[in-house]
Amino acid sequence: MAVCVPLATSLVGVALSETSARWWAPGADQILPGSLSYADETGVITILNLGAPTSTRGHPFFTPLGPNGRACVTCHQPSDGMSLSAATAQARWQATEGKDPLFAAIDGSNCPSLPQSDKDSHSLLLQHGLFRIARPWPPLEIDGKPVVAQFSIEVIRDPTGCNSDKVYGLPSPHPMISVFRRPRPVANLKYVTAVGYDFEPKNGLPLPIDAKTGRRMSGNILSDSRAGTLEGQASDAISSHLDVHGNSSAAEIKTILEFETHIFAAQSADFVGGLLNEGGALGGPVTLAAAKPGVLKSSQHPQWEEFDGWSKPGAANESTSLQQRTFRESVARGAALFRDRTFLVSDTAGINSMNFGNPTRDGCNFCHNMTRIGMDLAPGQVDLGTTNEPHADPQPDLPLFKLTCDPKYPPHPFLGPVVYTHDPGFALTTGKCADIGKITIQSMRGLAARPPYFSNGSARSLRDVIEYYNRRYQIGYTEQEMQDLTNLMSVL
Amino acid sequence: MRLAAIAAIVLTAASAGTVIAADTAASGPMAHSPVSFIACPVYRDTNNGRKSGCWLATDMATGVRYDIGGGRTKPQIGRDVLVEGVLGEGANACGGEILLPVHVSVLQTTCSAVMLPAEGYPGRVFQVPKNGYLPPADVVRPLPPGPYTSRDWHIEFNFQSDFLAYQYSEVILDDAARYIRASRPRHVEVTGYADTSPYVISGRQLIEPRSLGEQRAKMVAEALLRLGVDPGLLHVNWHVDPAAINADDGMAEPSKRRVTIHIEI
Repeated sequence: MAVCVPLATSLVGVALSETSARWWAPGADQILPGSLSYADETGVITILNLGAPTSTRGHPFFTPLGPNGRACVTCHQPSDGMSLSAATAQARWQATEGKDPLFAAIDGSNCPSLPQSDKDSHSLLLQHGLFRIARPWPPLEIDGKPVVAQFSIEVIRDPTGCNSDKVYGLPSPHPMISVFRRPRPVANLKYVTAVGYDFEPKNGLPLPIDAKTGRRMSGNILSDSRAGTLEGQASDAISSHLDVHGNSSAAEIKTILEFETHIFAAQSADFVGGLLNEGGALGGPVTLAAAKPGVLKSSQHPQWEEFDGWSKPGAANESTSLQQRTFRESVARGAALFRDRTFLVSDTAGINSMNFGNPTRDGCNFCHNMTRIGMDLAPGQVDLGTTNEPHADPQPDLPLFKLTCDPKYPPHPFLGPVVYTHDPGFALTTGKCADIGKITIQSMRGLAARPPYFSNGSARSLRDVIEYYNRRYQIGYTEQEMQDLTNLMSVL
Repeated sequence: MRLAAIAAIVLTAASAGTVIAADTAASGPMAHSPVSFIACPVYRDTNNGRKSGCWLATDMATGVRYDIGGGRTKPQIGRDVLVEGVLGEGANACGGEILLPVHVSVLQTTCSAVMLPAEGYPGRVFQVPKNGYLPPADVVRPLPPGPYTSRDWHIEFNFQSDFLAYQYSEVILDDAARYIRASRPRHVEVTGYADTSPYVISGRQLIEPRSLGEQRAKMVAEALLRLGVDPGLLHVNWHVDPAAINADDGMAEPSKRRVTIHIEI
């Protein structure tokens, strides 16, 4: 049995796990300790395992449950903040000459019908960190019931060939739409499932109740909200990504949920700024794991107040270098900008389509309003424009769909009855034109460990994320402000 | 008599939906007098903090520009709005006569998207809506104590909409559901209404489809079910053209576009 607790080195004050343990292979016999730390692009990501120690031997999160050799851990790696970066995918291709189960035909390639030994058949995963998500057409609701689609769908561009494929595409006997998305981190899930308020302001109704538990569902699981519970998400993932046919074992699901709800991930140190819980700051996963989830930002609970200490006189001492102090002050300014810098939010379905008006002046934390995590308590189905034309950045590698709304239904509130999109998002769950391109706002934690960003990987870096918002909403950030916000996001 | 008939007599319309002039301009607005018109809204970006912007609309029948941003629904630039309000009082923070209370319904018809700079106006300070917020879900609240009586709740909707408006509807629904759960009435009647009698405002004929009463009733019934109301108690009905009620803000016309929840103890 390999144990990764012995530490090979330390970095900016954080003990790092052994390099050899960076890739957690499915089926391995290891122990996941209470804390794991890995270097990433800007510092150190730390995973807390509150259920430690966890033996991976036979554990359903770490064990291939189906024929393709995949396990949950394949795409939810501790070193990548419990997600998977494009860089890690490339490293696995190199290490295994493309034979790692990560590249399974079902979703680790651009389409299962392509020659799987050809590297180009996996270009979306290798270049953008994207997995194929096949959604049924017509759509199915959150509970699996068929819904009436308010729109028809045509494939305008199909660079992967999968949407036109006679086995896997729309022409197949079981029509499917293939979209390509980043894996969401399996960490900090008490925030993902938190219900702050009973009502969902985006549709005016109380949040739906899970018939099994009697609890309200947060609506924040998965980018298209196709699963309402972690159990539903695990079942969906086992049947799709792990290619398991038939129902999952209840015991396996229970063990997976028990494990993943005890996992917290956050940056714990920065190469320049040092430890994120020093000098008056409260960054890192320990605070995150202990804090109450589902809290709406307010003057009593400001968003990213964890870093306010770095803006205060006396935050630095004689051991704080000028470079370190400068970085920390930048992070604190970034947190303040995130809260206080307002701009005109416009033409954004899920925000301006409510009764706030279009435009409405507000800040980043208008939508990223759950403290500690940056998700939307509402919940967060919003058409930011990352997948819908004309706001989407050029993405020639992705399919393009033309969705035409039936005139008897309300059209997309800002794009009208015909929408061109790379990913219809939430509309593939609800069937509604108003939901085309809405993608659930995701966790902002552990970002430095898992580029690229946005659901379709269109932002290669955190700076790209800021620049997208700056363009989309014509905010007019200065160079310093963009750097401050980038630094903030790098330490979450 | 319809408000529209009082507010504006359209003299000429060059094309459908275009109002050229009216005969009420000379008199000017009077405090507490009802006003209703259709207009293309203008956003004034006062850039004075979150939700500080102003919404203005000019009644072309009178030439008066109104501040219409005080209602629960804000306009969308580039989309016509139906404005129904009462001339209110207060500081001119936006550059228009204040309508308060005011109901704004965003229409499907498009118009020019216009934004103005602050021009020295400070804009509005965001305020908690009149009927407040609900507390967070984890706040334990005892159910209302008895004795209980038969009673009604009314939820208003915007013109041609079944959307349950945020920071308004949920407070009423929550109150009704908690009272129902506490009082265990003999039955709960949810009745949706649509205003299907055509009428003219700003030269444009307005009418709601008959089906909207059903849609509104079903939305409210679904909300009550999700709030724990026994489905066996619910009776869902829909009708058209109800009488106006004494709505809490004194606006009769918008009160016809409503759902009434009635419980019988």
